[in-house]
Amino acid sequence: MVSTPRERKWQMVVDADRCTGCQACVIACQAENNIPINSESHFQQKRAFTWIRIERYWEGEFPEVKARFIPFLCQHCDNAPCEPVCPVFATYHNNEGLNVQVYNRCVGTRFCQNNCPYHARYFNFWEPVWPETLRNALNPDVTVRGRGIMEKCTFCVQRIRRGEQDAKREGRDVRDGEFQPACAQACPANVLIFGDVRDPQSRIHEFLAKDRRFRLREELGTETNVIYLSKLDLEAKEVAGHA
Amino acid sequence: MPKALTGLIIASIAGLVLLGAVVYLVGSAWFGLPVGAQGPDQPIAFPHTVHAGSVESGGIGLDCTFCHRNVDKGAAATVPAVQQCMFCHSKVGGTTEAAQLQITKLRNYYESDTAINWVRVHRLPDHVQFVHDLHINYLMENPARIVNSVPEIGSDGSVNAAQTCSTCHGQIATMTTVKQVRALKMGDCVDCHRQNNAPTDCAICHY
Repeated sequence: MVSTPRERKWQMVVDADRCTGCQACVIACQAENNIPINSESHFQQKRAFTWIRIERYWEGEFPEVKARFIPFLCQHCDNAPCEPVCPVFATYHNNEGLNVQVYNRCVGTRFCQNNCPYHARYFNFWEPVWPETLRNALNPDVTVRGRGIMEKCTFCVQRIRRGEQDAKREGRDVRDGEFQPACAQACPANVLIFGDVRDPQSRIHEFLAKDRRFRLREELGTETNVIYLSKLDLEAKEVAGHA
Repeated sequence: MPKALTGLIIASIAGLVLLGAVVYLVGSAWFGLPVGAQGPDQPIAFPHTVHAGSVESGGIGLDCTFCHRNVDKGAAATVPAVQQCMFCHSKVGGTTEAAQLQITKLRNYYESDTAINWVRVHRLPDHVQFVHDLHINYLMENPARIVNSVPEIGSDGSVNAAQTCSTCHGQIATMTTVKQVRALKMGDCVDCHRQNNAPTDCAICHY
């Protein structure tokens, strides 16, 4: 008989202290998940897609100015505002802690996008087109979304499934660190740490235990599954110490 | 007969024919039956009866996995390359005139270095991810779940990979042209998943 897989709960830690804003995660995500190519006019219309994006903001006044970076992606909220507003149950929470978007159910009402406090959802206003040379570069494990479909970060569910299938073929349980989302794999500074919190041996616990942890817009009670670690700013502390 | 009346009769007959066609198409789509009793014509009239059919029925009894080599190893079943056909057909030329004609076509494909444009019979939509080998492994260990054929169960209670295919594809070995026998719609998948205690989470197949 089919053995029921161990209960999982995928979480990601984003260590904002290490992020240099290089955007490698953005490109890796774009390539992995068949995200349409954004043109200049897409950006001007504010309809550009990036499932993960680096928010840059400035701290301080010139010339004592500092650039800060925070990677933003779907927070996979346990208490997700996008889920109850979908009239067709195209977005729901599964038993692995993933906020799932079912493309073939989506009818494109965009209620979920309106209700998302993190701006993590993107709507296909156009049929996606790729240059002929990139057609064969599309990832066969990921559905190409058509016009009128909402999409967002999936925590690279195709990689999770691939890992589970490989584990099943070898008759074992999924190992920690066996697979990770494309963004985490591409990150040169190891900002993004992905893992199963139900696995007590998982590497993610080391980071979850840090006291720098916070969640984005925690006051909303969305119970996000993406945990951030705040910036360690030694200079700022010194300044604060002087003041 | 007035001209207007003749026109009306012709128009209503045409309308009825059109209505019949629409009812047939919608009906076959609704009940999940493939349109047409026969499968599509292929560029080479490949007879599964001869290759996969049992020796008693006049075939040579090859396992499905003999040609569809990846089917129990990965997601895709894979259609064999022309070169793989030539393993045998560089020597085997066919006994009847009809067979010789088809094998000549095959050799022409091989010599001109072109792939055969087979017409795909079983196609799932792009938003469905299906993995062959895990389904086959499950059925090999649980032969009681095999549908559409009576499997020969080995001494250890499992069966050969080739005996599981009939569950979704029917008795391909008895088909001259391959056709789809099962609806292969989502309801079909979900029913089977429920009966076999397999996960029914959307994100198992749709992502």
